[in-house]
Amino acid sequence: MPPHEPVREPTDSTLIRRFLDAGDEFAFRALHERHTPHLRMLLARLLGSQRDELDDIVQDAWLAGCRGLGTFNGTAQFSTWLTTIGIRAAWARLNAGRNGDGYASVSADSPEPDELAAPPLPATTTTIDLERALDRLNAHQRAVVVLHDVEGYTHAEIAEQLGLTPANSKVTLFRARGALRRMLDDGEPR
Amino acid sequence: MNDDLSSHERELFAALPRQSAADPIATERLVARLHAEGLVRKSESSASSAFTQRPSRRAPRIAVQLAAAVALFAVGALTGARIASRGSLERELARTDLGVADRVLLLQRAGSAYVTAANGYADATKRADSTAVEVANQVLRGAAHAVVRSSLNSRTASDILNVLQARDTTARKPILWY
Repeated sequence: MPPHEPVREPTDSTLIRRFLDAGDEFAFRALHERHTPHLRMLLARLLGSQRDELDDIVQDAWLAGCRGLGTFNGTAQFSTWLTTIGIRAAWARLNAGRNGDGYASVSADSPEPDELAAPPLPATTTTIDLERALDRLNAHQRAVVVLHDVEGYTHAEIAEQLGLTPANSKVTLFRARGALRRMLDDGEPR
Repeated sequence: MNDDLSSHERELFAALPRQSAADPIATERLVARLHAEGLVRKSESSASSAFTQRPSRRAPRIAVQLAAAVALFAVGALTGARIASRGSLERELARTDLGVADRVLLLQRAGSAYVTAANGYADATKRADSTAVEVANQVLRGAAHAVVRSSLNSRTASDILNVLQARDTTARKPILWY
């Protein structure tokens, strides 16, 4: 008797096709189960202290994704496409309460003098310390450092996601790292 | 702004968790919202991780088809049996509305049936079989007695009885009649 073939998980494109063709709830749940954990973690970091709105934003991202899934052309991965929707939803929520001068109005050419000499994080720093320090950054810096240093986005990609210029993203990252180092210089966020 | 991360900083960022489990209540709320908007329809199985184990809708359909096939076969067999038995010898013999001419024909059919049955039995055994001879004699003797009792042809019946009784005492051979 031949050995049993391993059960293959359906691909994203298979599930998407079933969702679009038949409104298959099962396919949707499979997609949701596969992609929500990463999306939720990423958005939680972006939201920082506004984390109580996390599940609303995750839902908004999925709703927007499902409504617009017919326009998903498959050139990018579905996870990338969905994450972009989620990041923009979170970013819009973070900017919703601000007056006129949104987070994007950061000077690209004038880092402050005290940011230039920030030493690297001490060896005693833990991931918990880092998480707490990230929460203490302002939303703009936190978004850039999370997308760049945690998620691995390029400055061009961050600029597109957040409506910045790549230069602005670089300056913001520089400042964010400096702020993190200063916060963690003595072993815990200040 | 040359600000590369140190190796320790890279390790710290790499060690941060990348996943956070979905809230089941939020998930169900989302699914309900999608239903309300008509974007999804209820599927047979909502067990999200058992994608390949969906229950088949074919099983009940096959059962119904099987039951229908059995019922159709039973009706066909019953109808066929009724058609086949409509002109059978047994059925005609049981009838009480027949005239004399019909009875004569039935008698002829019964005699032919007897001969056919006897020949068939002899062929099946491939040899002179004492049981076949005994059965044939008993049937023929019974028929002769019936003829005598009904006075249809007492001379013929008596002759048959005599022959049978004489042969019973001599040899046992396959019956050949007609």
